[in-house]
Amino acid sequence: MAVKMDGDSSTTDASQLGMTGEYMASSHYVLHPQDDDGEENMNDHEDGGTKENYREQDIYLPIANVARIMKNAVPQTGKIAKDAKECVQECVSEFISFITSEASERCHQEKRKTINGEDILFAMSTLGFDMYVDPLKLYLQKFREAMKGEKGMPGVAVGESLGEDLTDDGFANPLPAGIITADGQQQNVMVYTTTAYPQIPTVQQIQFS
Amino acid sequence: MRHNSKHQASEAKKAISLPISRVRLIMKSSPDVSSINQDALFLTTKATELFVQHLALTSFNNRSQTEANTLNYSDLAKTAEESDTFHFLTDILPKKILAQDYLKSLEQMQDEDSDF
Repeated sequence: MAVKMDGDSSTTDASQLGMTGEYMASSHYVLHPQDDDGEENMNDHEDGGTKENYREQDIYLPIANVARIMKNAVPQTGKIAKDAKECVQECVSEFISFITSEASERCHQEKRKTINGEDILFAMSTLGFDMYVDPLKLYLQKFREAMKGEKGMPGVAVGESLGEDLTDDGFANPLPAGIITADGQQQNVMVYTTTAYPQIPTVQQIQFS
Repeated sequence: MRHNSKHQASEAKKAISLPISRVRLIMKSSPDVSSINQDALFLTTKATELFVQHLALTSFNNRSQTEANTLNYSDLAKTAEESDTFHFLTDILPKKILAQDYLKSLEQMQDEDSDF
């Protein structure tokens, strides 16, 4: 399955396509014990359907988006090495898979076929990300209210309209949305919202300790 | 009125800085996942943003070379190893060593073998 998902169809930039094999090719680092074969980071899977070779974490979110979130999370004078960006890109896919598997399992246990919001929140709580749960509930509430306005019914699946709209539109007017503390240090975290999007007052403190 | 709610909806969409469609793709690549409802998709996408912020900031504050002011791969690997929350990442964040150090240690091992 060749996965080319970026909005700009003419891109040939490897990291835009989600391939993070570049640091592997660099002359410095050789040891990567998890390697079975040299192609584990390829996004392209034309193996003739051998599912074992296709790892779920080989699909990545665009590195530009990931890098921007990172850049705005660290202090302004801080820099981020290229291999760190690529690495977090992979970690993100791992995180998504991690949560999804757990949510899916719960879903199956309850004899349901569709993973819902509760499954996701429960998975996060179980897997040690319970500090995300309350802020997420608030975001969801706001999101639902906004979507209700568009379709006239709460909780209606909007489907693909949520798809490509969100790629590069999210970078307008970053506003400080909260203060994330880690190891006692106060940092302002920029979350991309537009000025019209209501601030969520109780999402001020997310303790990452 | 309709114009306002449409505006509101597009504002809500702009509040996410990651492509939802790709998040869905990653989720669907997990085994035994049939369908995902809209809430679950939104929550996962938003959680992913929080995750990136959380991981980046924690690793940055935790970095081994504080004077450099740069977040490196090794800082991330270190955080994964030392933190409970991020420990699930240790499999994909092995500590890397420089090629020259690896070759050196190989040579050392060979020298040791040749001593009787």
